[in-house]
Amino acid sequence: MKMWPPFLPSRYSKFLASTVLTAGLCFSFFASAQTVTTPNPTSANTLAPSNKPVISPITTPATVSYPGIIETFEKIITVDNDKFNNRSKDLTKNGRTFTDATAVTALDLEPDFLNSIILHSDPSYLKLASMAKCRFYDTILTDLLKSAEGKIKNVLVTYIDGKGNRQSSIMARKDFLTKVVNLECPETQKLINLFQVKYLDATMKDVPFEIPAGREQCQTVHLNWLTNPKTPFLCQIHEYLDQAKKGLGDPADLEQRKAVAKVLDQKITPVQKDYLQNICKHLDDEDLFCQEFLNVSFWNKISGGMEDKIYAQGICGYVMGASEPTDPQVRQCLARVNKESDLCLYPTAKNRGLTPQMNCESLSLALNYSSLRSNYLDCPAGSDQLALTNLSRLLLNFSRSEIKPFGGSCASISAGEAYEFNEKFDNDESWKLEACYDDTLNEKEVCQKIFFGSYLNNPASFTTVVATILKNMRGAETTTQCKMVSSKDFNPQILEFRTGCFIVYDPARCFMSQCKHKIYYNDRPIDFIKIKNRVTMDYFPTSLQGERFSQNYLLTHDYKKTGKSLSNVSNMVNYFKKSKGGLIHGVGCVEGLLPSFFKVQSFGQCTPTPFIIDGIIRENDKVVFVTRTAIDSLQAPRLVSWSNIFSAVRSYQRYHPLKLWTLYGID
Amino acid sequence: MVLINIIMVFISFGLSSAHSQELPKFLTKHSLDTIRYISIDGRYAYVKKGPGVLGLVSSFRSIDFLSDAQTSDFMVKGSRAKRKLLVEIIPAVHGEYDFYKLHKIMAMDWGNSNPKEVGLGISSKLHLEDEWVSYYHPVEKILTLQNLITQKKFTIQLQAKMNPFFRPEVDMVTSDTVLYTDINEQGYAALISYNLLTQKNAIIYKAPQTATRIELCSMPNYVAIGEFPYEGVSRGSKILYLKTSQGMNLAGYTSAYTSLDEDLGNIVCTQKGVFFIKTMSQDKKLSLKVTEVVLLQPDTGKIEARTSLKHVTQLLEMDGRILIPDRGEYYVLEGRSNISDDVLKSITPTKTEELPLEL
Repeated sequence: MKMWPPFLPSRYSKFLASTVLTAGLCFSFFASAQTVTTPNPTSANTLAPSNKPVISPITTPATVSYPGIIETFEKIITVDNDKFNNRSKDLTKNGRTFTDATAVTALDLEPDFLNSIILHSDPSYLKLASMAKCRFYDTILTDLLKSAEGKIKNVLVTYIDGKGNRQSSIMARKDFLTKVVNLECPETQKLINLFQVKYLDATMKDVPFEIPAGREQCQTVHLNWLTNPKTPFLCQIHEYLDQAKKGLGDPADLEQRKAVAKVLDQKITPVQKDYLQNICKHLDDEDLFCQEFLNVSFWNKISGGMEDKIYAQGICGYVMGASEPTDPQVRQCLARVNKESDLCLYPTAKNRGLTPQMNCESLSLALNYSSLRSNYLDCPAGSDQLALTNLSRLLLNFSRSEIKPFGGSCASISAGEAYEFNEKFDNDESWKLEACYDDTLNEKEVCQKIFFGSYLNNPASFTTVVATILKNMRGAETTTQCKMVSSKDFNPQILEFRTGCFIVYDPARCFMSQCKHKIYYNDRPIDFIKIKNRVTMDYFPTSLQGERFSQNYLLTHDYKKTGKSLSNVSNMVNYFKKSKGGLIHGVGCVEGLLPSFFKVQSFGQCTPTPFIIDGIIRENDKVVFVTRTAIDSLQAPRLVSWSNIFSAVRSYQRYHPLKLWTLYGID
Repeated sequence: MVLINIIMVFISFGLSSAHSQELPKFLTKHSLDTIRYISIDGRYAYVKKGPGVLGLVSSFRSIDFLSDAQTSDFMVKGSRAKRKLLVEIIPAVHGEYDFYKLHKIMAMDWGNSNPKEVGLGISSKLHLEDEWVSYYHPVEKILTLQNLITQKKFTIQLQAKMNPFFRPEVDMVTSDTVLYTDINEQGYAALISYNLLTQKNAIIYKAPQTATRIELCSMPNYVAIGEFPYEGVSRGSKILYLKTSQGMNLAGYTSAYTSLDEDLGNIVCTQKGVFFIKTMSQDKKLSLKVTEVVLLQPDTGKIEARTSLKHVTQLLEMDGRILIPDRGEYYVLEGRSNISDDVLKSITPTKTEELPLEL
């Protein structure tokens, strides 16, 4: 039984239908409205002396009445209303009420009924309806589509009856659901149940309110909403709340609707409401949908709850003079940040990277197009092995795993993640940093791999290793745990620090693989633990023999990420278009990447620096990349031109032992 | 007449941009990837001979004189005095991506291969006829000045807390006065004068706005002080000019150049004037710039464009030759570009040619 209406309500159908109808109506109005004075038959065709008929010119009519565009559409709507009402009455009067869908074939919606829908419905919902048959039915059922009677209460159909005759009928909406929709689209009934008030909380949790970062991603998000079967029901909620708030609709049940709306309001967050308003209004206009994300100030998004306030914490901490600004302080700060562009230059010291950061306007633009996971602090200034900082940023972005509790500087997060990654893929032998002690009983030196800080219960955390050594050498209890304490917070006079194990570190001189520290156990200094070597890692291979041990090799071969070398702008632009959630990473000379920060002082100078590119901004023929070098704060990307990136990577290539081109897409 | 005027306009336009032509690439007989320092005439070249090995190649000999771990690399720096050279040995270049890494600093006679250890630090520089060397400890934020003859050391503690990766600019104007840059807790840069004898400092110039950096360069008769913005920050640029030929009144600087443009700077002082990288046009929204090298006459303030590369980001002076590193190549702005010939030059009677024989 064919149900798909013959006249597809495509994107241009309204325009086409309107044009045709307008043309026809205009012609008919023109024909009936124009008044023309008939020329005097005696004066016309008067024979001139030369016997040729003289035709007098057409005179301007005394009165003229031409309908304007508004009046034309008003008349079109009136005609449509009359047509619909007459047709409905006609079908009802003649007993043409549709009852049994199984006994008929070629069941379609009446063309006039479809026209009416096109004329009276929001183009946004028409676009949604046009995506699929079931979507079309759902938009009727959710009152998103309208007809001449307003909310669709009756559906006009045509079909071929058992005798082979084409008939028309009118069907109540309830019957349309049970006799037609449930048969053709069984999913619809399930969706109706999911959006019952009692199940709404659980349903909303599963709806992905994805914030796109970049034009291409936004296009994908928009398309996903158009094809999502839940969209009509979500937009129904949006319309319901909107109408109740504005007091629209039938006044008879307004109070009841307001009460229901109040309940619904509590089940949807303000962020979700704003999001739904944007998508439901712009289902037919991807540009307007994307504008809300890409052209709106990032700081407004934080204020509106669409983005994590971690992006503003460092900035607002400095602006408001508080290391941990409160919510009201952050709101106040964000209001200022929108107007005073210099406020973003210097964040608090807690998570400082390379400063000054970009000004607030440029930073907002970069963050709008950024997709790298940045909802944690990783203290790049505390890193003396930037390969691990860059690597952990990639790993945490792909895994999206929770940040584990850490001790010491937040650079421990990068060290912990990188150590676990290398250990997992049997590359921990390359990790050379060790804590050693003399085991006098066995007359040998015992060494264990470490990184400074602690990362949950990682066995290589310096805290865990020191505790183990104390248990072995000083008879410490098996439950002994060591803590990293900043020298600013440590006070041996306080009872808390008199018992137990404390690793007191100088925050200005403690990094991943070297750390100025003192160990105290039960108020006594421990000085027999020696630190040997440093963490040395190849980010990209520097020798053929060592290729297997480079971090990029582990990422692409063991961690199973696809790596693709990118050498020009077109490659990079296409990569971002095609890859979903992909990033570009590389190593380049910092003198090329950030020339205003680092000057070349000698010939052949190159300071290799890992970096990640996670977004692209294109305007006309100009392209700029959203970039974080490993010394930049996670929350403060920079806009770097292709010239700088190419120059940096090319210079590093000349400097590299294997002359590698070190710029790769990874997804 | 009109035609003549049009022709004259084109000629004058051509003259004013006569130097804005395609610059020659730097050509030597050594691979550019291995050169760490080469003299203006190409007769002395310090090259990386192999992993962790620095050698001297001159007209008369080739000697590998410095050997370190295989993963080490080198920076070689000279000065206009041409008496000494500094070598910074950079450990684990490709395995330790560490901006706090200390380099072993060695000093040796110019054109020679007799390095002697000086200290540990970064951003080393020779001063005052190569009698003094300065270097910086990025973690302790200590600037060290050392006399290479007496070995006497002086240290200056910097603030520099706002930017953990800050590198100061340093210039010794007399044997007891050093100029250096620093940034305070609010991000304001300043040029400070420090007297090594009295150990007292004085602020010569303080930036009126945050997020700018101060650069220094000097000639025997003047010191140029540049103030330029960092990337992504809306600030203007300026170059101050301090004549030192009539005494060392450090406060007596004048403004040689002021602009609303966000210039890159990287000033290089020469007898001709001050070369720096100027922003010719900019898309502020996308932070995209068209930058060229210009020559500033500090006395007159006249500026002349010297390149048409559209994307100049660095400027380097090496033994009087001014080079532009760009996309892995080196373009020559001042000095001979092609020193790849192998012809021995005869000894001129006016110059004493040293035969670098080691006995």
